[in-house]
Formats: sequence, C-alpha cells, structure tokens
Amino acid sequence: MEAIERFKEICADPKAYARRWKEKTGGKVIGTLCSYAPEELILAGGALAFRIVGGSGGISRADAHLQTYSCSLVRGALDDALNGEFDFLDGAIFPHTCDSIQRLSDIWRMNAQTGFHLDVVLPVKLNTTSARDYMTAVMRKAGTELESVLGKTITDDDLHKAIGIYNGIRSAMQRLYIIRQDRPGGIAGSDVHAIVRASMVMDRNDFLNRLTRLVDTLERQSEPESVDNKRIFLSGGVCNLPDVYGIIESAGGTVVGDDLCTGSRGLTGLVDTDGDPLDAIAGRYARRAICPAKHAGITSRGDDLVRMVRTTRAQGVIILFLKFCDPHAFDYPYLKSMLDAEGIPSLLVELEEQTASQGQFRTRCEAFMEML
Amino acid sequence: MISVGIDVGSISAKAAMMKDGELIGSKVMLTGYNARNAGERIFLDLLAGLDVQRDAVGRIVATGYGRNSVEVADKAVTEITCHAAGAHFQDPAVRCVIDIGGQDSKVIAMDTTGRVTDFAMNDKCAAGTGRFLEVMARALEVDLDAFGEMSLQADQPAAISSLCTVFAESEVISLIARGERRENIIAGIHESIGSRVIAMANRVGITEPVMMTGGVAKNIGVVRALEKKSGKSIRVSANAQVNGAIGAALIAAGIA
Repeated sequence: MEAIERFKEICADPKAYARRWKEKTGGKVIGTLCSYAPEELILAGGALAFRIVGGSGGISRADAHLQTYSCSLVRGALDDALNGEFDFLDGAIFPHTCDSIQRLSDIWRMNAQTGFHLDVVLPVKLNTTSARDYMTAVMRKAGTELESVLGKTITDDDLHKAIGIYNGIRSAMQRLYIIRQDRPGGIAGSDVHAIVRASMVMDRNDFLNRLTRLVDTLERQSEPESVDNKRIFLSGGVCNLPDVYGIIESAGGTVVGDDLCTGSRGLTGLVDTDGDPLDAIAGRYARRAICPAKHAGITSRGDDLVRMVRTTRAQGVIILFLKFCDPHAFDYPYLKSMLDAEGIPSLLVELEEQTASQGQFRTRCEAFMEML
Repeated sequence: MISVGIDVGSISAKAAMMKDGELIGSKVMLTGYNARNAGERIFLDLLAGLDVQRDAVGRIVATGYGRNSVEVADKAVTEITCHAAGAHFQDPAVRCVIDIGGQDSKVIAMDTTGRVTDFAMNDKCAAGTGRFLEVMARALEVDLDAFGEMSLQADQPAAISSLCTVFAESEVISLIARGERRENIIAGIHESIGSRVIAMANRVGITEPVMMTGGVAKNIGVVRALEKKSGKSIRVSANAQVNGAIGAALIAAGIA
C-alpha cells in the first residue's frame, strides 16, 4: 500500500524527512525527548515536533559525558547530537520524566548545538487536584516560552486547530488498533511500528490525512486468512527495532496490541474541545496512559495492562524495555506478579536501542510461542 | 519407531537416538566453526556408531543455537522446550530445570506433565556459563574435568565479586599472584556461577524437585554451589550433556 510505503520511508530515515520539510516550508523543527512533550503547543506555534527515540549507530562521543549504564536511548541521542546529526533542529524540549532524560537535558544544554532549550517540569503524581492545577500552569509556561523562541503568538484559535488535528490522529490510531486486535494479520506489526514512528516526526496534518485514508482502506478490506499464530501483547518502553516485529511473527506470534512508548501510549486519550485549550491539554496528560516514570495510583499500570490483555484476548505478553531503563525495571516485578496472578504468561526481554541480539531474541520468542 | 534429536550448541554438538521410548545411543563432539556441518556430521557419526541405516530413522528434530541450519532435520524446536522434555522423560517428578551450556544458562519452570510454564535465560554475557569455566581453567592451568573434584577440597572458597568473565579472570589472576590455593579459587568461581544462576532462577521461582542439565552439570562443584545458593537439593541428569538432544528425539517421536 502506498501510504504504508511512505510511512516506512520516513521511519527508515526520519532526519532526512525533517530536513526536507524544513527546506520546503521554511518552518522550525523542535526535537522532543519523550511522549510528555506538549506537542499540541508546538503544532499551534507552527513548528514541527520531531521525536528523538535514540541514536543512529555506535556510541563514541556520548560516553565522555554519560555513564555506560545509562540506557542506549539517552546515550544514542546524545551521541547523535554531539556528532551534529540534529543540525536541522531549531530547538529541543525535555519533559521531566525519568532521571536519565532529566540529566541528559543538562548535558545537552551545555554541549549540543541544537538551538533553544526548554525544560517542561511536569508533576510526577498525576492523579491529584494540585497536580492538575500545576499541569495547567506548566502548559501555560511552556506556551509562553514557545511563543518567545518561535517569535509567534499562539492564539486560542491556533490551539483549537492543533487539538483538532491531534484528536483526529489519536482517533484514527485507535481505529487502527481495533483492526489489529480484531483481525490479526490484517496489518503487520512492523507496519504499525512504521506508522507510529511516522506519527512522531511527520507534518501532523499530512500524517492525519494519509492515516485516515489508510485506515478507511483497511477497514473496507475483507478478513485476512486466519493464521494459527499466538496472540501477543507487547508491553514496555521504547522499541525502535522494526526487526523485533518480524522475529515475533516468524516465531509464530501476532501482535494484537501494545502499551509501548513507540506504540499506543502517546496516542491514548482525547483532548476536551470545550473550555480553555491549555487547561484541556493539561487534562489529557492527567488522564492518558502513563509512563512508569509517572504515578497515577499504586497499580494503575498493572491494572491497565491486565485490562488491555483481556480486551485484546492476548495469549501472552512480551515485555520489552531498554537495558538500564530504571523506571521500567522497577515496575517489572509487580507487573509480572499481577500477570502471573491472572494466569497470563509473560516473557521479559531487555533490548539495546540499536543492536538487537537477534539470535537470543529469536530463541526466547520461539520458546515462548512453544510454551503458549 | 526410531527418532533422532540433534542439539547444536555453541561449543559442542550432541545427538541422541530413541527407539520406542528408549534411549539407544548418543554422541557428543565439538561444534567448530561450521554449525551446519556439525549437525550433519554428528548425525552420520551417531548412525555409524550404532550401525543404524539412514532410512531406518523416522523423524529428526534439531535444537540448540544452530538448530535452524541442520538440514537433515524435519523440524527445529528451541532448547528450552527440548530440555524440559528431556528432563521430564528422565525424571517425571522434575518441576524446575537448570541448564548451563557453553554460552548460555537457563532456568525452566514446568508443570507435572513436562510442559514449560516459565523460563529465563542469561543475557549476551558469558558469565556463569561453560565458556566462563573454560576461560578460568586456562588461567589456572587446570584441566576443566578436574574442576569439580578440586573445588570440593577447598577450605575457604575465594571471593570473586565480578560478574563479568573478563574482569573475573583478572580477579582470578590477582588471586593466583597472591598465592591463593587453586582449590579455593575454583570453589570461588563455582560460587560466583551459583549466585548468578540462582539470581536468575529466583525470577522464575524454584519449585522442587530441581534437575540440572547441560554440559556444566558434569561439574559437581557447580552443582554443590547451586545447592548452597538456593538451599535446595539438585538432581543431576544421568545424561546431562545430551539432555537437550534426548528431548528433541522425544519430540521427534511425538512422545513429548
């Protein structure tokens, strides 16, 4: 399908896409380090939010600034920044989520040359009234700062338009996830991955149009031939290795859902369209699926995981996170025991962002499918 | 019916032949550089040694890291499923298998029917594996086969803190330089393997009876260290090194 090919092309080289976008539109590109970056505000300011999910290869320069037991996302991103690979960025936004991203922000500010530098200091607890008020204030501050660095006034009208586009994207993505859940094999896991990656870097209006057309086409398609694969739910953090999906599929699994950071997590929840737009954007952040660096109740991630496994009728869960990702590693024992208590088999795989240890991953996946 | 299991591991290739639910023979050799070749060679060796014709063999299942390159095999099954099947065949009571091979170690939880319910494998590092022991044997100038017995003569196992093979080797060299007894160093090496593997086993949960399989099970010192660290008694498979191949042969025969 033509739309998927376009998404795959962008996923394969997001930096080239951003450079071309900038050349063509003369617009500004802002690097974001996490799904908590206020993307609606960036769009309302007329800029392109460009999500950085790691580096492009080996790590050499970053290790002069970071300990080697930081995750490969943080080390890889810094390495690319130090190597000048983000020369197209006009600025970077660091939301305060995990410790590593927070400290990366400081090192980045002092060493990388990527234009202006904003920190968005979000609350850690999201389910309290004070956090809700604080979040709105954070959004207001981020909006003012963006206006200043972008040299543009962000009006309520701009915000409403941006909210409309993001709500459109999130609704279409939800439809895509339903197709994935109801018709396994209707769309390949690596295709969904390419779409999600494209959603993080592409001109959002263009993305929404292409995505909507694609989902319309997919919904009209007839049932794919039923395959005897196991239904797998992916849980965890950033997974930027398209091969992972191919390996799971060739081992006899089909991904029917996920809560990944490079998956459904940033695409959950809609922004209310009435009332103050900044307040509404803040409200979504308080409601959306959380990352383990945030808190919304003692067992909220586990409850969500069990619920999603049940909804997608998954037979097993593969938990993927980057080696040395503390927030995910701290959550893992309780998630595993909740899954065990529900009789849901799970497999833990720790990955490096760029170099997958393919043979071992393949063996684990095949053994897991044999077990199921 | 005659079935064969071929287990191409990182260091050695193993093959086992079953006939009507009985193990009738097995073979072990070094894998070498060419894993594809190793599967074929050990299969032919096994046939020759047992004087069985190629045509007499019904089905063949390959396992181990080289499983997908064994052309003579009808099917490839992972070593996790095969080790569980092999252990269950040899002792149906077994609920937990600790397998330490050339470059990986794994812990497998199974139910009373021999079905795998959970498992964990080591990461890409060689610490706590057969390769780790080979490196240490070279540093200590001791034949690896003597490791087990020598470690039982230790009076005070040396403390080896590092979990990394390369760093642990330099710790061992420091201990040698300090004049520490070989027996104590070897016992310390076994305890470091024991700690590492039991830490992984605790993630899966250890239900007794526990069986140890894989080439490293031939080392009694490692078995004792695993018992000490887990506080559980461990049975050693009578055919530890070929246990995966036996499991593969059972799966080939449709018994497991």
